[in-house]
Amino acid sequence: MRKRAYIISFYFLLLYQVVLAQQNNAVLISVNFQQTKVAQFVSELEAKSNYHFFYDPVKMDSLMVTLQVENKPIEFILEMAFKNTDYHFAISNQFIFLTKGRQIKTELPPGFAEIQKNNQLEKQANIVSDYTEEKDKKVLEATTENKIYEIGLKTNPIKPGNAILSGYVRNIKTGEAVVGASIYVASTKNGVATDQFGYFAISLPRGRHTLIIRALGMRDTRRQILFYADGKINIELTEQVNSLKEVKISADKVANVRSVELGVTRLDIKNIKQIPTAFGEADVLKVVLTLPGVTSVGEATTGFNVRGGAADENLILLDGATIYNPAHFFGFFAAFNPDLVKDIELYKSSIPEKFGGRLSSVLDITNREGNKKNFTGSAGIGLLTSRFNIEGPIIKDKTSFIFGARTTYSDWLLSALPEAYKHSSATFNDFNLDLSHQINDKNNIYLSSYLSNDQFRLNSDTTYAYSNRSIALKWKHNFNNKLYSVVTGGIDRYQYDISSKADPLTAYDLAFNINQTNFKADFNYYLTNKHTINFGLSSILYKINPGSFEPSGNQSLILSQIISPEQALESALYLGDKFDISPNFTLSAGIRYNIYNYLGAQTVDNYAPNLPKSQVNVLDSTTYKGGQIINTFAAPDIRISARYILGENLSIKAGYNTLHQYIHLLSNTTSISPTDVYKLSDPNIKPESSDQISMGIFKNAASNTIEMSVEIYYKRLNNYLDYKSGAVLLLNQHIERDVINTEGKAYGAEFLLKKTAGKLNGWLSYTYSRTLLRQNDPNAGELINGGSYYPANFDKPHSFNFTGNYKFTHRYSVSVDVAYSTGRPITLPIAKYEYGGSERVFYSDRNEYRIPDYFRSDFSLNIEGNHRVHQRTHNSWTIGVYNLTGRQNAYSTFFTEQSGVISGYKLSIFAAPIPFINYNIRF
Amino acid sequence: MLFISCKQAYNPPIITSPGSYLVVEGVVNNGNDSTIIKLNYTVNLTNKIASSPVLNAIVSVQDDQNISYSLTGTTSGKYFITNLNLDNSRKYRLSIKTINNKQYYSDYVPVLNSPPIDSIYLSVSNNTVNVNSTAHDPTNKVQYYRWDFNETWIIHAAYFSYFKSNGITVLPRDLINDNIYQCWLSDTSSTIVLNSTSKFKQALLTNNIVTSFPLNSEKVANKYSILLRQYALSADAYSFWINLKKNTEKLGGIFDPQPSQINGNIHCETNPAEAVIGYISVGNVAIKRIFIDKQQLPFSIPNLPYSDCMIDTLLYRYFAPGAKIPVNQVNEFINYNNGATTIKIPIVAIQQPGGPILGYTASSPFCVDCTVRGSNKQPLFWK
Repeated sequence: MRKRAYIISFYFLLLYQVVLAQQNNAVLISVNFQQTKVAQFVSELEAKSNYHFFYDPVKMDSLMVTLQVENKPIEFILEMAFKNTDYHFAISNQFIFLTKGRQIKTELPPGFAEIQKNNQLEKQANIVSDYTEEKDKKVLEATTENKIYEIGLKTNPIKPGNAILSGYVRNIKTGEAVVGASIYVASTKNGVATDQFGYFAISLPRGRHTLIIRALGMRDTRRQILFYADGKINIELTEQVNSLKEVKISADKVANVRSVELGVTRLDIKNIKQIPTAFGEADVLKVVLTLPGVTSVGEATTGFNVRGGAADENLILLDGATIYNPAHFFGFFAAFNPDLVKDIELYKSSIPEKFGGRLSSVLDITNREGNKKNFTGSAGIGLLTSRFNIEGPIIKDKTSFIFGARTTYSDWLLSALPEAYKHSSATFNDFNLDLSHQINDKNNIYLSSYLSNDQFRLNSDTTYAYSNRSIALKWKHNFNNKLYSVVTGGIDRYQYDISSKADPLTAYDLAFNINQTNFKADFNYYLTNKHTINFGLSSILYKINPGSFEPSGNQSLILSQIISPEQALESALYLGDKFDISPNFTLSAGIRYNIYNYLGAQTVDNYAPNLPKSQVNVLDSTTYKGGQIINTFAAPDIRISARYILGENLSIKAGYNTLHQYIHLLSNTTSISPTDVYKLSDPNIKPESSDQISMGIFKNAASNTIEMSVEIYYKRLNNYLDYKSGAVLLLNQHIERDVINTEGKAYGAEFLLKKTAGKLNGWLSYTYSRTLLRQNDPNAGELINGGSYYPANFDKPHSFNFTGNYKFTHRYSVSVDVAYSTGRPITLPIAKYEYGGSERVFYSDRNEYRIPDYFRSDFSLNIEGNHRVHQRTHNSWTIGVYNLTGRQNAYSTFFTEQSGVISGYKLSIFAAPIPFINYNIRF
Repeated sequence: MLFISCKQAYNPPIITSPGSYLVVEGVVNNGNDSTIIKLNYTVNLTNKIASSPVLNAIVSVQDDQNISYSLTGTTSGKYFITNLNLDNSRKYRLSIKTINNKQYYSDYVPVLNSPPIDSIYLSVSNNTVNVNSTAHDPTNKVQYYRWDFNETWIIHAAYFSYFKSNGITVLPRDLINDNIYQCWLSDTSSTIVLNSTSKFKQALLTNNIVTSFPLNSEKVANKYSILLRQYALSADAYSFWINLKKNTEKLGGIFDPQPSQINGNIHCETNPAEAVIGYISVGNVAIKRIFIDKQQLPFSIPNLPYSDCMIDTLLYRYFAPGAKIPVNQVNEFINYNNGATTIKIPIVAIQQPGGPILGYTASSPFCVDCTVRGSNKQPLFWK
């Protein structure tokens, strides 16, 4: 308290230049004010006491006091009179000072004597302003566009030079942080975007400025400030309610050109909801697939490939928690509740230093914070799924929760099918519960939790089940305007279970799980207006149970088989700097140093050098104790990107980055299936690494409503894992004997044309890309295709996407989605022969041929209910057709023997136009 | 999702194989039984015939102490030798030299004998008949098995024919020597049947399903027999066979693996890069046959291929409605030398008691003559 008093006293010092000591005076007064103006209020109190009042009549003229008290001290009366108002009082000796908007403290700070040595007013102001960093000082809530907000300690004249302005941008309705809002300062032409907490800090010359604030789905606004010294301003934005003309796709229209990053796309849920999907429910991952540089191996898979990377090379984060299987129901639905997702960010090239551990991309999915002001919710009903969410304040304006749930009732559909599928069943559900709490102005905590479950049986006696579980606690702390930190701790788990109980003698239970415990501390330091520093550390402890195969029931003859668990610690330290060299030239450079320890307990086989890793080449094996470090891989990741602005709406960017990956998905099939195995790097399986160089040209046109970009990249892959012929991946204690390390290269060009405003909006993308692999080490076992380059499974050279939305009126809009891509490579039969009583085929070189090209078009009509803002519920309908042309796209082709004859087949999923309808309600 | 997924025939663009590859199939039988090795070349996918035999090659079985046994070739690309009586402690390989002077060798492999088949029995679940076998290896040496089999079963025609046409006229049928009502049908295994005891606590193979068919299958409408051959495999041989099976039988599901290259244990000495298909194992073959009567299985109405069969009445003098001149339907449909085109086989005679034969009931050969589908000669092993 003492400290606080001393800090605030500077106001007094500066404004009045008097030094007074506080004194108690115990005169008791009775008053009865009814709508009393300040003059009368003051004169009555002066009459009843021996105090003298000082105030500015102009500032105080709107004061009206209604108060009736008996025999109270004057402090109490004043306190009651000004309670919950912007008026303050200060008592010193016989003097009472009334102020508006600012309180006067009448006590001297300790150390004042030293300060006084500097007689220069400005210098004092400067020092003083640093002391104003006190905890409970009210941050200016700037709500009006036309008012001039004074920030920092007022000085006259305004000092030259820069100071730092910081604060939060929030949604006025829900109190939720607005992420990626751009704050643009027109006079200096510089700008900043809010981070994931809605926080921003910007260095500005002192003086008068207009801030232009733009954010996704929010109405553009501006704030006028008179900037004296370091200070804070909180800005609340109004949501755009069904705007007719403007649907923004990018948070900042100029961000496309001005940001340093390449290959970064941010989409908010409104864009995601415009894209038609198979069952009418907005799907986060399907939208990602429409972006340039992103492809998938086929429909019904939510595994996606970014710039020539395998599906496991994407780090998928949901509020910071790693999600290992992002799909439900064989991949027909993304595992993320579209009613909770706020926005997604996909990093393809410039991956921030704080992320690591995967080679290709980071998909960062952010859920909304619960509404801090009112209870609201929504519900949706579709053909196969229903969803529900509710949110609201626990403590108004401070603490909120959001809860979402989804479930399916698809069994009715399966039971309506022909006999062959009748005994199938499939269920899934997912739950999110997030809490956010504002401790005070400097500290926020966020708790997020996620659970998803899937279970299905495909007309056999085998039941598959899998589940993702995560919980994370995040603490954000602002040290001062320049420095803040985010500390995150969490646990993520992914597990699956396969069981068969039909035959008691062979009944089994197969289980797999992966657990990771994360700790992360990220710091953001706004050093000067030229340097923004990011640094931090992270550590992940992996524990994998790679498979247990156990008898089920007493009669089972199955021999229990448990692959020994694995442990590893992946740690990283990072440091990055965004350096604005000149207004046009910005460089972002960073380093992330990875340290990976493979830990015991484990028995590791030692293979003879330069011989294939096979049973016959095992020299001996070493057994390590629990927690013992078996081996360590350490390597730096380099992340560099630069931007140079050529013209107002034109920039070029270039980037180089390296990445390392220590956890590998082993999958022998074309899509990610829930039975795939994750393997940690160990002495026999080297970490995968890649480096990428990319360049891009970015141009905006037609008042930033059209964005164009061209990006090219070249990427090298090292120790990419491919499989030997007929590899066994599940329940394999010696997985290194069935995999081979390959080297690869990926390159491509991505073209994007985006229209962000108007009745028609959407984007058009074309990508040319290749991914080639090679295994030419004869010592590694078999040579694939004689050691020459072969296309990876997901190599699709040409890919074209169009996603568009046209609004006819406020209530009606149509969305169209068109996708074309080259067919995926396939190993085709090239000859036939008889063997084992049947005709069989001889296959070509690996991935020598391709399946037919892929083409699909979807259509949906979105009907909003009426647009009165104040009504109990808002509802909307989505009606549409998926795969409008009914093209039977090949998911895969295969050759199989029936009655001794080889026939070729093409498997199509979604082979006919699929109509869908969805009803949503918001309350 | 399933109603929208579909499987369609797919014919890839015509792919001409860059060459033809040698295919070697067979087991070197270490005992008295004959060793038969089939040599073929692969053919292009578009070829009608699936095999192209390799003729006039020099084929021999060699042991690791330079003793060689030559096999005799036939015109169908089969090479055989009997009574090899090999030493079970040595390792053997196959040597092949083709007429274009290419030398192929299989790897040396030890002799691995199959334990006997303990039993074969049929079990029924969900209206499916499973043919099961059991085996055990007291030495715990054999952990991998492969089977192939011949099935034989009795079929009956839809109708019993008492008459026969000699082309000109209809005569009573010789029911002993010219029986066309009961025949035997045979089939050989067309899938690769594999199993392993490596996962089990004991080298005991129970409930191994060799083949399955529906309970109402014609196979068990009368009497059924199966001859089962059991081969012991090494772990390496097993991986060859399972890989072959995966490539041609186990594909098509969403989660099934992609095809992969097949590596056997045969290599071309002349051109090491050349692919050779096949795996040569050495050992004896366990054989067992069983018979099953339909009475031994739960009752089921057989699903016979005769649902379209109909009996026609064919008269010597048939007056079409309104016609004045009769038509000889017996000549028109039965006596194939008297102008019959759509041939039918007579079943029974149409006559008043004691009166002349007015005509015959008849039906198509498929419905009356079982030799259309099988053989009316009882196989030698049948009992």
